[in-house]
Amino acid sequence: MIWVAWRQNRTESFVILGVLVLSSIFLLVTGLNMAHDFQQSGLSDCLAHNKQSAICSQLATAFTNHYSVLLAVAIALLLLPILLGAMVGAPLVAREYEQRTNLLVWLQSISRTRWLSVKLVLVLGTGLVVGGVLLVGLSWWYSPFSQLIGSFNPVAFDFSGPVLIASTVLALALGIFAGTLTRRTVFAIFLTLVLILAIRLPVEFGLRSNYEPQITVTWPLAQADHPPAPLGKQDWSVAQGFLDAQGNKIDSVSCNGAQLTPQQCMQANGYRGFYLSYQPADRFWPFQWIETGIYLAISLLVLGATVWLVRRRLV
Amino acid sequence: MSNALETTHLSKRYGRTWALQDCTLALPAGRVAALVGPNGAGKTTLLHLSVGLLQPTEGLVQIFGCSPLKQTTETLPRLGFVAQDHPLYKDFTAADLLTLGRKLNPRWDDTLARAGKLSGGQQAQVALVLALAKRPDLMLLDEPLASLDPLARREFLRTLLDATVESGLTVLLSSHIIGDLERVCDYLIILSASHVQLVGDIQEIARTHKRLIGPRQNVDAIASTHTVIETSQTERQTTLLVRTNGPLFDPSWEVQEVSLEDIVLAYLSQQVTESLSSSSQHRMEVVQ
Repeated sequence: MIWVAWRQNRTESFVILGVLVLSSIFLLVTGLNMAHDFQQSGLSDCLAHNKQSAICSQLATAFTNHYSVLLAVAIALLLLPILLGAMVGAPLVAREYEQRTNLLVWLQSISRTRWLSVKLVLVLGTGLVVGGVLLVGLSWWYSPFSQLIGSFNPVAFDFSGPVLIASTVLALALGIFAGTLTRRTVFAIFLTLVLILAIRLPVEFGLRSNYEPQITVTWPLAQADHPPAPLGKQDWSVAQGFLDAQGNKIDSVSCNGAQLTPQQCMQANGYRGFYLSYQPADRFWPFQWIETGIYLAISLLVLGATVWLVRRRLV
Repeated sequence: MSNALETTHLSKRYGRTWALQDCTLALPAGRVAALVGPNGAGKTTLLHLSVGLLQPTEGLVQIFGCSPLKQTTETLPRLGFVAQDHPLYKDFTAADLLTLGRKLNPRWDDTLARAGKLSGGQQAQVALVLALAKRPDLMLLDEPLASLDPLARREFLRTLLDATVESGLTVLLSSHIIGDLERVCDYLIILSASHVQLVGDIQEIARTHKRLIGPRQNVDAIASTHTVIETSQTERQTTLLVRTNGPLFDPSWEVQEVSLEDIVLAYLSQQVTESLSSSSQHRMEVVQ
């Protein structure tokens, strides 16, 4: 069955391999260049000794400006796991139903469960490899940026730990499930994308910053916008804003009095002070594992449903 | 004699529609059986139930005494199946498909699967060889001839027959016409409107079914001893197709032999009239 599964997905396998090789070459070439720049410019030295000089902040700005486009390209590689789910996961079972080859392969001498498990193991194994390669490549590539702006932020969190592997497995599991459910490749691809978004968006923009209660600090207007204890680069600043007269958190303030300084205006409107909510750096790894757990649990659930569907709903 | 396939009150319902209802039949091992019925009669449903691709709503199906659903380790290696339109992996070469067969079937016989036998690599022929080289004991084919030209039909049937002669294989092949199958089959199952109409040995069926032609008269007398399948009356004469349950004595009838095709047609049209009058009396008839 391994041979059959390999023969069926031979083309896909070569495409995946090609994309991985190209991505790796891109990351390696630009990453080496960037790391060299990071060292030679003295920015690395600045950050290592936590220097606060004007030249250091100039270097940081120049580095960020220079590499921001490449950063965007590198981050775009995070679309690969989603594509994998839609292009390899979704057709895996759907194509068999669609071309009625299930009627051929289910009447060979191996059981339907065995047929499905071999396919699942091979495809999910591919997912682990793809996720692993991307994880190693992207986290290495990002390391200068990690020192500069940290990894505990909504974007870098996605590729700085096991969450990347788990989200790749999740995309594939959802694809395979969607394909088994709909039995139509095109519809399954569409459904896969919808399911991935329906799970990942709420996790990334809702749940993630609340795996543990956020720490909130407040301070009076007189101190202006300088928090009493400034955040480190590896802390995640989740939200910041103002406190109104009742002590409610407000994201922005509208001041109409043109003659007043912002501070005077806020005083006039009865604002009390500032607040900052954050997740400290030492929660990075617990958060990674929590999210990995969530994605893997959902994957197991939909894979279980897939096995049930294939065994139960025949033909 | 053991049965290769046996069904008892087998039924399958999709939503509110019965695709197959109360189907009880036995296919003795070693037979080559034709499963005949119009499109939508439930032939595919019966075949899919038999190989375990479907779960029955009611009733029981057994392959050599084993459940094709629950005892797949026993039944799968013994079953050969060619689905309707013989689906194959489109991007596989004939050699790839044979490798698939070899990898997935412990009983695989490479001498039956030499690529040279594939006569131009026709899809149907490949599908057949793929199923045959698995060395099954029971082979089920769903409308295998429907999409083939006459030459390919002959080739297909010859490959199939060679295999049955060599190995004592039991075969069940479905078709909506009997014509092609008359020469190759020795057993007949007529299925119509999701019910089994007739099951039996073809020679026995041919021997017991007669056409009776006589002056216009009441058929009650003959119907009391024999089974009237079809009646057609003109002003002067009555023509019957009956299944005899013993010798015919009444001299007022002229007795004629009937072709298998006419017998099949009679049963199929009988079903139509019956379902109109919603009588269920002669739905299941077994000739032994």
